[in-house]
Amino acid sequence: MTDAVIEGIRERVTAAIRVNLSVGIQVPENRHADLLEAIFASMCKNTHDVWSFVSVSKSYDYLKKSYKEIDQFQNIHFIDCISRAAGIGTKHHNCIYIESPGMLEFIILELLNSFRGLKGDTEKFIIIDSLSALMIYNDPAIIREFITLLMNRARSDNIHVISILVEEEMDSNKIIQMNDKIIVLRDSFID
Amino acid sequence: MPSKREVCSTGIEELDLKMEGGIPLGSTVLVTGCSGSGKTTLCMQFLFNGARKGERGVFFTITEPLFKLTKNLEGFGFYDKKLIESGMVNIIDLRIISERLGLDAEKYTVEDAGALLDILKDIADELDVKRLVMDSITALCYRLQTREMIRDFIFKLGTSLAVMNCTTMLTSEVPPQTFKFSQYEIEEFISDGIFFLGDMERKGDLIRTLQVIKMRGTPHSRTKFSMNISSQRGIELMPLLKSSEFESFLKR
Repeated sequence: MTDAVIEGIRERVTAAIRVNLSVGIQVPENRHADLLEAIFASMCKNTHDVWSFVSVSKSYDYLKKSYKEIDQFQNIHFIDCISRAAGIGTKHHNCIYIESPGMLEFIILELLNSFRGLKGDTEKFIIIDSLSALMIYNDPAIIREFITLLMNRARSDNIHVISILVEEEMDSNKIIQMNDKIIVLRDSFID
Repeated sequence: MPSKREVCSTGIEELDLKMEGGIPLGSTVLVTGCSGSGKTTLCMQFLFNGARKGERGVFFTITEPLFKLTKNLEGFGFYDKKLIESGMVNIIDLRIISERLGLDAEKYTVEDAGALLDILKDIADELDVKRLVMDSITALCYRLQTREMIRDFIFKLGTSLAVMNCTTMLTSEVPPQTFKFSQYEIEEFISDGIFFLGDMERKGDLIRTLQVIKMRGTPHSRTKFSMNISSQRGIELMPLLKSSEFESFLKR
């Protein structure tokens, strides 16, 4: 994919999340990596904002190899939900490891902790990558409850939430409807 | 105008919130749970948080040697060696006291138990403690020979604690996966409050839970919370996702 299209996605997502507290992004599997690239570009560009990225689809090691600059920013924190469950024991200064993607309450705890002690005017963002991957490890009812709890807490603390849904996972469609705004990415254009 | 309710903050934000600020001052709380449920950590956090506010505390242990206890504490953010050195947090091994009193460490008579109680009271008075922990009441009662002796001891302990000017936590060991508050089923009756620390299995993950079963003198939530033990922040609570509990119940 060209840089121009990634830049286009980045602008679209950035604009949506600035005006809505929660945005769901529906993406086809073959565009998932491009979406991540656009999101990471946004995270690295906006260094005054604080970002917490919950990774359920890829380990932090893998993300770091693919997007080299992501560990150089103090304003970006990662919550890796799959490395420990997969037996990967590495540690990184800007990443918190959750024992298992089924420990949903602890994901919320670590997210809220990552924003503790910030100045009142700091813009805060959570990215969940992805609802589809969470549903591999959890039942739909509990994911719905998790997202509801997360969004309620995030709204009360003025934290923006971006949740990604890989299109092929149709079961999670109902959950993405809980967002204020939904962006649907297609192979050749943005809805 | 009603007088302001005096509370003893545990220092665990979510737990204090559940009790509208903290444990009513001077209460005795039974902290019950199976092995590894976080009883000792919760009690230690309660003591260290109190000490930071200038409230002296004492921890009586009968289950773990002192060196092991302090070694386990070293990794926690709430632990401060200076608070031990300055005498704001006192950790006392009851087995050493028993030994010095010439008591049989494995078996106590009614008189032995009474003597031990008097010593505990004297120590608490002398140190002028505001927070007291006994870890565990189960292990202490285990040394008594009959159910009658245990009952008698627990009631005497309750009476002694009631007149002490401090907030107390008694830990109680129960088998895993049981909704039972104590080994001898008497401990809960001398307690003003009960924190029940449990486990819940969800798809192979064992999740710690905490529930305030009772707390006299304050309105409180009875909702089950998931509990995390973090080395940096100690005990942390988050509402438990209910769908999982329902599934877990169906599987039983």
